[in-house]
Amino acid sequence: MFFDLIQNTLDGLAMGSSYALLAVGFTLIFGVLRRVNLSYGPAIMFGGYCATWVHLNFQAGLLALAIITIAGAVLAGAYVERLCFAPHRQGSAIAAMVASFALWMQFEEAVTLVMPSHVYDFPAMYDGPPFEFGSLTLRMEALVMLACAVAISYGLHRVLSGSRFGLAVRAVIDSPVAAQLAGIDVPRVLLQVFLLASSIGGLAGYLIVSTHTQITPMLGMWSTLKGLLAMMIGGLGSLPGAVAGGLVLGVLEAHSQWFLGPQSRDLLAFLLLFGLLAVRPYGLWRASSAEAEA
Amino acid sequence: MTRKDHPLLEVSELVTAYGKIEALKGVNLSVEQGSITCLLGPNGAGKTTLMMTTAGILKPRGGSIRFAGTEIAGRAPHAIVAQGVALVPENRLVFPAMTVIDNLQAGAYQRRDRVETGADLERMFARFPRLKERSAQLAGTLSGGEQQMLAVARALMSRPKLLLMDEPSLGLAPLVVEEIFRIIADLHMDGATIFLVEQNAHMALKVAQHFYLMEQGKVTFSGTPGAMAEDEVIRRAYLGSAKA
Ligand SMILES: Nc1ncnc2c1ncn2[C@@H]1O[C@H](COP(=O)(O)OP(=O)(O)OP(=O)(O)O)[C@@H](O)[C@H]1O
Ligand SMILES: [Mg+2]
Repeated sequence: MFFDLIQNTLDGLAMGSSYALLAVGFTLIFGVLRRVNLSYGPAIMFGGYCATWVHLNFQAGLLALAIITIAGAVLAGAYVERLCFAPHRQGSAIAAMVASFALWMQFEEAVTLVMPSHVYDFPAMYDGPPFEFGSLTLRMEALVMLACAVAISYGLHRVLSGSRFGLAVRAVIDSPVAAQLAGIDVPRVLLQVFLLASSIGGLAGYLIVSTHTQITPMLGMWSTLKGLLAMMIGGLGSLPGAVAGGLVLGVLEAHSQWFLGPQSRDLLAFLLLFGLLAVRPYGLWRASSAEAEA
Repeated sequence: MTRKDHPLLEVSELVTAYGKIEALKGVNLSVEQGSITCLLGPNGAGKTTLMMTTAGILKPRGGSIRFAGTEIAGRAPHAIVAQGVALVPENRLVFPAMTVIDNLQAGAYQRRDRVETGADLERMFARFPRLKERSAQLAGTLSGGEQQMLAVARALMSRPKLLLMDEPSLGLAPLVVEEIFRIIADLHMDGATIFLVEQNAHMALKVAQHFYLMEQGKVTFSGTPGAMAEDEVIRRAYLGSAKA
C-alpha cells in the first residue's frame, strides 16, 4: 500500500511533467495575448499526425519523429496565430476564441481526411524493461518526461529573466502599449512567443503519444483540456504556477486512477476544471483577479 | 540633421478618429529643434489623441506628421521610436510587474551599444537618485511621483531627438510637480527638444518658448508666452472658449 502510493506519485509526476509542458505553452500564449487559444492542443495533434504519417511511409528514427512532431505543431501554431490572433489583437476576445475553435475543427478534418482510420500506432521511445529501484519501477519515458520538463522550465526561466527577447516578452505581458512605446515590435514578439509555445507543446505532444504508443484525433481536445486545467490550477499567467499545476494534476490523476479505476482519470480532469472555475477561478494559489493581473 | 528652416516636428491637417467620432479635425502645428513647445487645452480637446497618433499607437485617418523631414504618420510605434521620438504617456504606463532597472532597460530596447547604454543608466540614476535607491523594486510599488520620474527616464533611455510628454504633472503633489518641471528645464538646458501637453498652464508657460491651444480637435490659438494676454489663454486652456 505504501509503495503503491509512492509508485503512483512517481507515475503521476512523470505524466504531470508533460502536463506541465502543455501548461507552460498555454500560459505563454495566454500571458502575451490575454486570449485562450483553443487550437493549442489541435495544433499539437496535427504535429503528431505529421510524425505518424512519416512513420507509416518512411523509415524514420525516433529523434526525427520528435522533430517532425514539433515542426508540425509549430507550423500549425503559426497558422493559428496568423489567422486567429493577429487579426483580432485589438478586437474582441470572443472573436479570437471562436476563430481558434474553427481552426480546431479544421485540423481534425484535415487529419482524418489524410489518415481516415483515426487511431494509429506510434512507436515507443524505448522498448526495454523499466528501471527497478527495490519494489519501485520507473519507465524510460517517465525519466525523459521529467528531464524535459525540468530542462525546459529552467531554460525558459533563464531566457525570460536574462535575455533581450525575455525582456521584450515580459514587457509585452506587463503592458502591450508601454512595450510599443518603448520601441518593442509587439506583433513580432507575439508571433515569436506563439512559435515558442507551440514548439514546447509539440515536444509535450511527442512525449505523450510515444508513451501511449498510439495517437487519436482526441489528442487535440485532450491537450487543450490538460494544458488549460494545469494552467488554471497554477493561477492564470504564472509560469512556475503552470509547472506546479501540471505536476499536481498528474499526481491527482494517478491516485484517482488507482483508487477509482482507469475510467476515472479524464472524468476527474473535467470535474476538477468545473469545480475550480466555480470555487477558485484564479487558481489554487491566488485569491483574486487583482493578484492574477499583478 | 534637419535643415535650419524646417521644424523638427511638423503636423499638418492631421485627422484621427475613434470610430465615427473625429477627435482630431485637421491639426496643424510644429515644434522647433531645441525648443520646449507646450500644448494646452481643456479636457477632451484631443491632446492625448495627438500624442498617441504621433507615437504611432493610434493611426491617423488623414494628414501628415513629418519628423526631421521624414513622414512618420501611420508607421508602427517601434519604427517611430527608431526615428528618435519617445513618448512619456498620460498616466505614466510604467511596467508595474517589472523592476525599475528592467523598465529602464526596456526603454533602451532598440539600442545595441551595451557600454553606452550602461553609461546612460548611470546618468539616469544620477539625475533621478530616487530611482537608484529603488532600482530593484517593482515599478508598480513606486509612488506616483517616482513612477513619473521612471516614465521620463525610460523614454530618455532611447536617446530620443524629440521627447513627447503627456501631462507629466497629472495627479502629483505641488512639490513633485515643481521637481518635474525642474527636470524638464534641465533637459532643455542639455539640448533636448520637448513637446509638452499640460493642464498646469501656469507652470508650462514658464518653461515653454512656444505654445498652442487646442480645443475640440483643432488648434485655435498659438503664441509665445509673455507676449499675449496670458490670463485669457489660461482661462481657455482650462474651460474651453465654448463655455466662456
Ligand atoms: N478610446 C476612445 N474611444 C472613443 N473616444 C475616445 C477615446 N479616447 C478618447 N476619446 C474621445 O476623444 C476626444 C479627445 O480625447 P483625448 O483623450 O485626446 O483628450 P485630452 O485632450 O487628452 O483630454 P484630457 O485633458 O482629459 O486628457 C474626447 O472627446 C474623448 O472622449
Ligand atoms: Mg489627455
